[in-house]
Amino acid sequence: MYVAARVDEEKCNGCKLCILTCPDPNVISIDKAKNIGINQARCKGCGLCVVACPKEALTVS
Amino acid sequence: MSLRILKPTAEFADLLPKEYQELVENGPYHEQKGISDLGTFKEIIEEHPHCAGCGVALGVRLVAASLPAPADTLIIGTPGCSFFGLAQTALNYSNTAFGNQNAVASGLKRMLKIRYPDRNKDVVVLVGDGGIADIGLDMTLHSWLRRENITTIMVDNEVYGNTGGQESGMTKEGQVLNMAPEGKKFPKIPVFELARTSGCAYGARVTVASPRKIGEAVKKAILVAREVGPTYVQIYTPCPTNLKFPPDQTVKVAKDAEAGYYSFEEFISPEAQEYMQKTTKAV
Ligand SMILES: Cc1ncc(C[n+]2csc(CCOP(=O)(O)OP(=O)(O)O)c2C)c(N)n1
Ligand code: SF4
Ligand code: SF4
Ligand SMILES: [Mg+2]
Repeated sequence: MYVAARVDEEKCNGCKLCILTCPDPNVISIDKAKNIGINQARCKGCGLCVVACPKEALTVS
Repeated sequence: MSLRILKPTAEFADLLPKEYQELVENGPYHEQKGISDLGTFKEIIEEHPHCAGCGVALGVRLVAASLPAPADTLIIGTPGCSFFGLAQTALNYSNTAFGNQNAVASGLKRMLKIRYPDRNKDVVVLVGDGGIADIGLDMTLHSWLRRENITTIMVDNEVYGNTGGQESGMTKEGQVLNMAPEGKKFPKIPVFELARTSGCAYGARVTVASPRKIGEAVKKAILVAREVGPTYVQIYTPCPTNLKFPPDQTVKVAKDAEAGYYSFEEFISPEAQEYMQKTTKAV
């Protein structure tokens, strides 16, 4: 894994826009409490979710 | 693919890879799933090999989540980047020789109607712009002119992505590509207009910047194809690798196109309109 997305849980409000933007299935998930999880081993680090997030809660590093 | 087919016998359940077990337990079979449920269920067994930021992969993913009856859907593909996306999904998938997709789909749909007279089996062609607008254009148009009950979905990245960047009929005029160094010399083939004039009962033109519109268009297209006639959905799915923009800009590129030459468009025949009103009332 070179780079992968990370979520700042303090900033994320669970809007799910990142999930609808990620081209890769099974990478970003959301649970019933609206917590976002990222499968970093599968993330390709494209950064689309970072651009989509209105709360600036995601980074790729 | 139906859960009944996928489910292993109890003796073998523990021997299967974890990813497979997860798909059985949490795949898209159990209740009606839609685009807004993405992130809560297992979509495919494993990852796919597309480039980072691939618009085609995003388009395929959104289409797969929009199917009204995934277990009774047969996806017809053809060579191209669109075909990798489904290689490992939970869906029935059949590949075809490049360009033959609408001919094969027509035959399979007719066969499924005979085999399952009391059950809807949705046959959905999901292929690239080269597959439809170039090598498969005659078979696509003829399936529409014959009024076959199939849905055709184009993931339009405006290039032959899979083979390294040749121009397709859907490439924009003037576009320079790896293997079109002087730029394309004629405009995009108006496949959307051809769908309208060749017998499609419903058509929509959307981009990956509007996932919910994709969801609605795909659902409508598949329902109309069951009873009324052929349908067409054209999705703009930009390719960062060949169009040479940064992979985090795919959705922005689609959004910009949506504000211009790739604006949202839809058409529906009076018969399809009536059918949709009846079905939505019945639900
Ligand atoms: C009969 C035949 N001719 C050529 C090819 C090589 N080929 C494979 S994919 C492809 C281009 C696909 O372009 P498109 O349909 O736009 O899909 P994309 O890869 O862009 O998603 C070509 C020419 C082939 N597989 N079969
Ligand atoms: S960086 Fe790309 S691949 Fe990784 S989670 Fe974000 S959108 Fe998905
Ligand atoms: S070449 Fe383009 S369309 Fe093909 S996988 Fe890469 S980004 Fe996607
Ligand atoms: Mg293409």
